Order: sequence, then C-alpha cells, then structure tokens
Amino acid sequence: MAHPKDRPTGWASNRREFLERSGGAALALSGAAGLLSACSNSTTTATSTNASGQKLGPGGYPLARPNQPVTLKRWEDPIDSNLPPETGGTFTIYNYPNYLDKGVMKSFGEKYGVEVQLTSFQDINSGIARLANGGVHPDVMENTPDNMARCVAAKLIKPLNLDYIPNLKKNLWPSLWSPYYDQESRYSVPYTTYATGILWRNDKVSEDIASMPQPLDIFWQAEAYKGKVALLSEPRETIAMALLRKGVPTGSNMSTLDLINTEDPDLINQAVADLKQLDSICHIKVGDTQFQTIPEGTTYLNQAWSGDWLAAYIFYLPKNTPASVMSYWKAPTGHVPVQNDCWSICSTTTKPVLSHLWLNYINDNGVARKNFLDFNGYQPPLEELDPSTLISDGTFPENARTAILTKDDFGQGHIEECTLTTTGQQLWQNGYSDFLAG
Amino acid sequence: MYPRWLWSGFSLPGVVWLILLFLVPFYAVIGVAFGSVDPLLQTPVPAWNPATWNTGWITQVLQEMAPGGVYWDPVRRTIYYVAISLGLCLLIGYPVAYYIARHAGRTKTLLLVLLIIPFWISYLMRMLAWVNLLEPTGYATRFLDFTGVSDLAVRSGLLLNPQSWLGGASITVVLALVYGYIPYLILPLYAALDRIDRSHLEAARDLGASPFRTFLHVTLPLSKTGILGGCVLIALPMFGDYYTPDVISGAPSTTMIGNQIDLYFHGGPQPTKGAAITVVLSLFLLIVMGYYMWTIHRATREASRA
Amino acid sequence: MTTSAASARTTQEFTLWQRIWGWITNPWGKPRFLPVITWLYMAWAIVPVLIAIQFSFNATRSRTNWAGFSTRWYWGDPNDSVWHDPALRHALQQSLKLAVLDMVFAVPIGVLLAIGLARWRGRGSGASNFLMLFPLVTPEIVSGVALFLVFTHIYTVITTSTFAQVLGHVTFTISYVVVIVRGRLFSIGWQYEEAAADLGAGPFTALRLVLFPLLVPAIIASAAIAFAISIDDFVISQYLSCGAQCDTVPIIIYSSTRAAPLPSTNAIASIMVAFTLLAVVLGYVFFRIFTRGEVREGGISGDMSRFEI
Repeated sequence: MAHPKDRPTGWASNRREFLERSGGAALALSGAAGLLSACSNSTTTATSTNASGQKLGPGGYPLARPNQPVTLKRWEDPIDSNLPPETGGTFTIYNYPNYLDKGVMKSFGEKYGVEVQLTSFQDINSGIARLANGGVHPDVMENTPDNMARCVAAKLIKPLNLDYIPNLKKNLWPSLWSPYYDQESRYSVPYTTYATGILWRNDKVSEDIASMPQPLDIFWQAEAYKGKVALLSEPRETIAMALLRKGVPTGSNMSTLDLINTEDPDLINQAVADLKQLDSICHIKVGDTQFQTIPEGTTYLNQAWSGDWLAAYIFYLPKNTPASVMSYWKAPTGHVPVQNDCWSICSTTTKPVLSHLWLNYINDNGVARKNFLDFNGYQPPLEELDPSTLISDGTFPENARTAILTKDDFGQGHIEECTLTTTGQQLWQNGYSDFLAG
Repeated sequence: MYPRWLWSGFSLPGVVWLILLFLVPFYAVIGVAFGSVDPLLQTPVPAWNPATWNTGWITQVLQEMAPGGVYWDPVRRTIYYVAISLGLCLLIGYPVAYYIARHAGRTKTLLLVLLIIPFWISYLMRMLAWVNLLEPTGYATRFLDFTGVSDLAVRSGLLLNPQSWLGGASITVVLALVYGYIPYLILPLYAALDRIDRSHLEAARDLGASPFRTFLHVTLPLSKTGILGGCVLIALPMFGDYYTPDVISGAPSTTMIGNQIDLYFHGGPQPTKGAAITVVLSLFLLIVMGYYMWTIHRATREASRA
Repeated sequence: MTTSAASARTTQEFTLWQRIWGWITNPWGKPRFLPVITWLYMAWAIVPVLIAIQFSFNATRSRTNWAGFSTRWYWGDPNDSVWHDPALRHALQQSLKLAVLDMVFAVPIGVLLAIGLARWRGRGSGASNFLMLFPLVTPEIVSGVALFLVFTHIYTVITTSTFAQVLGHVTFTISYVVVIVRGRLFSIGWQYEEAAADLGAGPFTALRLVLFPLLVPAIIASAAIAFAISIDDFVISQYLSCGAQCDTVPIIIYSSTRAAPLPSTNAIASIMVAFTLLAVVLGYVFFRIFTRGEVREGGISGDMSRFEI
C-alpha cells in the first residue's frame, strides 16, 4: 500500500511545479504576443469619397438623403411580366414580430394556395445580418430606407417588375412613387409611415409636455417617474433624440437633417453622455413594448413611434382604462424624424411572381386599412386614407390627433434617419454600446 | 481481462465529437475575433492563419474593459452580481442540501423529487413567472409590500418604490439569478454531503464533539470539494448570462457583459467586437476552470492513495 | 401532592404559539431551522411556476389580474391560442423534436465516453477529461456564439438549421450524461465484471451481460436529463435558429417578453412542463421496471448522490 506521504504523479503535483509550468506557458504566450504585434492592428475601414467629394456609403453609392436622391443599379434583370403565380408550399415573410396582421397573411395564403409563415427578427440590422449569413431563406422582407443601398450592393434583394404592382401608383402617395432612397422604386415599395416622439400617461405625468419649450427635456426632468421611463432600444433613435434635444450646435451651419445623420464623434459622444445621465435621473429602461406598457401602466413616459398610440388603442388598452389617458407628442416637420418602412423581395425567394403579388397585395386599399386598423396601428401612405376623417368618423378619439400623420409630415424639409458610412455606423453602434453599458 | 485499447476506443466517438463541435467552434471565435468585417454584408471575415491576425479588435476590447473604459461598468457589475448571487445561493442552498442529505428521513425521496422539479421547467419560464409576479399589480409585489419587505428594500436604497421591482433594480436581477441557478448548486452539494461516510460523524461524536462542532470540523471540510464543484458549476455560466437582466429588468444600469456580446452579434458593423469580448471572457473562465481542475486533481490523488 | 402538581402541567396548557416555539428551539432534537428553510425553499422554487400555470387559464389578456377560468389560450381563441397559432404549435413540435433527437444521440455517445474516461489510464485521458468537463461550465452565450460562427464559416454546408441545433444540443448534453453515468460506474466498481471473468465470460460478454444492465438506471436518468436540458435550452437554439421553422418554445417565451406577452405564452410553457413531467414519470417507470428485484444501497437517493463532477 502506498504511503500517504508519497508524492502523487500528474501534471503538477505541487504549487511550485504548477507555477513553473504555467510560467512556461506564460513565457510562450508572451513570445506569441511579440509575434502578434507584427500582425495588422486596425478596426476601422477607410471611407471612400467620389469625384465631388461626397462620402460614399456601402456599395459605392452616395449616401441617400431626401435632397440627394439615389438611383440603385439593377444587378440582374427583373422577371418577365404576365407570368402565372407559383402555388403550393410555404411562403416566408421576414418581418418584425407583431407588425403584420395574421389575418392578412392567412387571406393571402388562401387566395394563392400557399401556406404563409412569418420569420421574425428583433431588429432590421440583425435581420439583414442573418439573411447575409445564409441563416434564413425568406421570400419577401420588410426593409428600411437606410439599408436599401447595402442590400442592393450585397445582392440580397431582387429588382422589381412594377407591372405586377399596379397598386403602387394606384393607391399610394405620389411622393413615394420614386423615393429618394430608391428612385423609380426599382427595389422596394412602401409599407407604413411613422414618426418618433413621446408617448405618455397624462394621468400619471403631471407636466404638460407639449407646451414645454423643448419637450424632449422631459426625460432629463423625470426624477419623479423613476423606473417608469423607457427609450426605444434602437441605436439611431436614442442618440438622434439626444442630438435633437440640444439641436444644431451654435455657430454651425449644419442642417437638422445632417445633425441626425452626423458622423462627428464629438457630437455623438456628447449625445451619449447626455443619455447616460438618464441612468441616475430616472433609471432609464430600453425596450420596444411601449404599445403595451403604456396602456397597462407599467411605464409612464416612453420614447415611442406614432403607431404605438394607435396600436395601444386598438389592441392593448385594458377595459377599464379610457383612451384619454394616453398622450402623444411629436416635433413639427423638420425636427421630427419620420420614416417609411418598405417591402423588398429577397434573392433567396423561390416564388418571385408570388413575391411581387405580395407587394401588390399589401398595398391594396382594403388590405392595408385592415392591417392598420385591425392590428398594428401604423399608417399606410394610402391616398384615399384621409387622416382627418379617422377622427371625424370616430375610428380614433380626439387625442389621437397628434399621433396621426399627414402628407405634410413628409413634405418639404422633413428629416429622416438615413444611410451612414461604415465608419459612421461603427461610431453610432459604439455610442449605443456605451449607453447600454450603464 | 479487457484489451488495453478498449477504454480509449470507447472514448473516441465522444472525444472526436467534442473536438469537432466544441474546440473547433472556439477556434472559429478566435478566428473571427482576430479577423475583419465585410463592409457590405457586415458579416465577419475570419482570419485562420495566426500570421494574418488583426489584433485591433482585441486590443480595443481590452482597453475598454480597463477601469474607465466603456465595458468597465458591465464587467464590474457582472462580477458583483455573480459574487453576491453565489453567496446567496450557498447561504440558502447549503442548509437545504444538508437537511435533505442528513436529516430528512422518510421525506427524503419526496424532497429529492421536489428538488429536481425546477430542472424540468424551462429557465425562461421560471423567469417569466417572476416577471408576472413582480409587476406592479402582481401577487409577489403585493405580498412583499404587505409583509414590509418592500419598505425595507426601499429604505436601504435597493429599491425605488414598493412597486418598482421590475424598474431596473439590481436587487431583482440578483434575486432572479439566485432563483435561476440555485437548483444547479443544491444537487452537487447534496451529492457531496450524502457521500460523507457516517462513520466519520460517529467517530467525532464518540470523541465528544457536539453536533455543531461535528458539523464545523468534520462535515464542512469533507464537503469542500462538493462546494467548490457546485460553485464552479453555477458561477461560470452566470458570467455569460444576459437574458436574465434582459427579461427581468431591461435597463442599461443592470446590464452584464453578456449583453454587450449579444448587442454586437445581433446586427451592426462590428460582430468581430462581440467575438473579441467572447474570447476575453473565455480566457478568464479557462483560468478559473484550470485552477478548479488542479485542485480536484490534487484532492482525488491524495484520496486515492488511501 | 407535588408529583400530581408536576404532572398537571400537560401539553394542553401550552398555547399553539408556545408549542411551535418549543418545537423550533428544542435543544434535544435535530436543528429545526433546517426543515423550515428547506420547505420554504421548495415553496419559493415551485409556487411561482404554479401561479404562471394558473394564469395560462386566465379569461382576459392580463397576466397579473385573475379574471376567471378559461381555456381560450389553449384552444379557444381563434388567432392566439396554442392550437390555432401556427407559430406556437410549431415551436412546441420543434422543442419536442430537438429533445428527442438530443436524447437519441447524446446518451449513447455519453455512456461510451463515461465508461471510457472512467477506466482509461493512458496518455490523453487527463486532457480528454478536461475537455469533457469544459462544456458544463461554459456560459451559454459563449457556446452560442462559437457554434453560430462555426456553422456559418467552417461547417457551412450545415448552416443554421434544425440539424445544427441538434448538433449543438448534443455537444452540451454529452457532459451531463458522462457525469451521471460515471458516478454510477464508480460505485459499481470492477467486482462484478471480475466475477464474470472468473466464471469464464469474455470481455464483450461481460460488458453486455454484466456492466450495461448495472448501468441502466444511470442511463435512464441521463436520458431524462438530456431531454430536460434540450427542452430548456435557449441561447444555442436561438443562435442556431433558421427562422420560424426552427424556433423553439424558449425562443417564443423570450421574444414575447420583448414584444407583447399574452397568456398564450404561459399556456405553451405550461404544456412544456406537462411534457417534461410526463417524460420524468415515464423515465421513473422504466427505471423501476429495469431495476425490479434489485436491492440497491440507498434507493433512489443513493443514485442521486452519485452525481459528482
């Protein structure tokens, strides 16, 4: 029998051996470090500019702005006209969750004899990343204007044959027939319109937010509502709000449009520093569930999209809560970020004709109204939908007026969150990561 | 009687599987962390050959993790949360394991069944249950208010007001972590305590030790490896937890380092940064795991000499 | 007289609170605070889940205000119930599919690995042991990210898909199977196989007729654990998901807490609980059938105590 004092064998039987061996490993590693220092060391990509000095975005396209429209090149020919639609099998829609009425999907499926299913993404960037990685193979995808050029350059979406989509010119606002981010609607058709503003419970928040000189200041004065205040969990929206609150820096001739699309690190860092103050002021939360938390009263003050008021009214307001307790404010045109989402056809589609028909179907007057009024509360840009009638015919109560968009909101001088260069995107993401780090 | 190659042969499928699906993925993370990003698709472009490694991302991440950097707050917070949760888990879990192992008698089987029930229930479902209970009108909020626990928490600065358990409070995140991980601690603890030979305890009693002194000088030291194993089993995964703060809090002031990794991997131009943070986290865990393995190795060698 | 006076102080004269306090502070008995803590812990661990199950039967959309019993979230509601919402139904099927496949692959590999590692004494055994232990302590986000990257850059023929999810689950289940089976193996020891050899059995006969039957309880326990781990898994399933086709119940629960939770989420989670309990009960039944007539030291609790890392 072995004696208890016998030294055991093994990798390291005592502390000295352990230190020796790991010391050896450390030495080896430091040698490796020396080797590694010879490797490249860069995290930035150079931004290219074109002949007129304009910064170029992804794919070599100039950065699309409402006053600098961009025409996207067709990387393949669109499909021929007058082809019969494919039937049978599944038709996959790639979209946010809870953004499309299930009844609308079902009736499309019944009309064309396919099974419609929804694959969801948490936000548009992760959605496109997954598509680019080959992780999903949808037929159509909901998209945003600031990602259009990138998707085209990476050949993730297919050019359209507008013969299949007569509803574009028949039903939608003329200003969106050839939008600045996709002239001639070569790759997209519009989906919903929305603005970003403030949604709050006027029975819990005593301040009159709409009549404040700068209503966005309310978040920085919300000590009384600690733990009940939330911002959208979107890098662009949160930092843009902080930028808009302070406005264009004095002495600068930058436009408000340039402000919310800035790539100036100082401006972004200052905005992030402002946002970080909210941690101690009101224990700020981030999330996208304001359409439920406001009517249920778990949050009192939220940064929110205009459709959230309407969705809350349609779907989430508890029975004993009147609609008059919810208020929405958005800045006047030129100071409020507005946007329209789009639909595109993915390159991975196996049903191109049906995909075109979906883009037509979703912009049918009846279907778009149903999707809006029965479910998601986000206004489609339909010509026949006169926003003022929505209140006068009783669909929505009077205090929904501020949440309903008109064509003027998209008129001259409106501002949108547009495409950035890769460096710019890195800056914004790093800024948001800093905010999220608390 | 068995051929010598039999046991290594048995191990072969498992080891090959683990190499292909555990070690190789780690190398993929390293390759991505030292690689670059396709500017168009914003997908990572891994660098497989160490000579072509781009160390920019790792150095940036390490700089940001130092005090004063962007990630310092989440790192510090993660360490606090894990340490406090571990302490609470031990405080609650050890007595439970001890009771079941030593004193339960006839109810032992019943208690064991109840003990392993949380294993069968999805972690997220248990968190969801708490989200429902801690809402301002939820049962737990009302109960805690009624019993005065909320008042205590508010007065000690841990809670904003009696209804804001879900309003970005660190205490809720810590308690959720404890709730979620404690079953994984109790079972190994129970196993360790149950294995202790009764004859040791009888010997101590025979020599005149009171029950308390027996516990302190015999049971506790003999269960040390079990405690260490259980702690390692729950602490290391807790370092990478991100869905618990997400589900139960949602505020930037309670995010952990896992949330940063998740942020970079869910779209955006810098997935390599997420990979770099993952590499740093894994290195840290490797060191802790190595220390644990060395301790166990030494303990089992000494024990097997007997 | 004094003796009768002394015996007049019977238990009837103590109040209820005095008796409880006496029971707790009895210095001659076992420490009383231990069962109190234990039962309180059990209640704390299980009651919230029971309440969540209760609210899956709520008549309104609220998950906090009870408004009456209804089965609308299970099959009543034409759009949002588990029966009618294809997304929820599919998630349920996908979760069960992954769990069964996980069991089928992880248990054989894990059992072989357990026997091999427990008895292998040659070179590489230490490293293999370390390799086997590592998945137990790897945080899920690290393994999720690693598997995601490997399936999108190295094994790209298997992109994120159900197959990838199965491979990912099995990788992390193997370690649990090994730990459980190995514990049982240590307590069995060499004695039975040596006896079989003495009686003339060859090596493979000994394995087949002696060792494996003795391991069956541990194999069943590890199969049940494999099932539970797969059902519970969230991060790996999410990172390796291919979209709607591959979403599992935990993914649905997580995205519902980020979007708009309805009691149908509670309903689907409750259905999962029912399935896992069924699996456990079945496992226990098989366990009793296979160990009929065996006298094992310590009973079930003895087996549970074999769990060691």
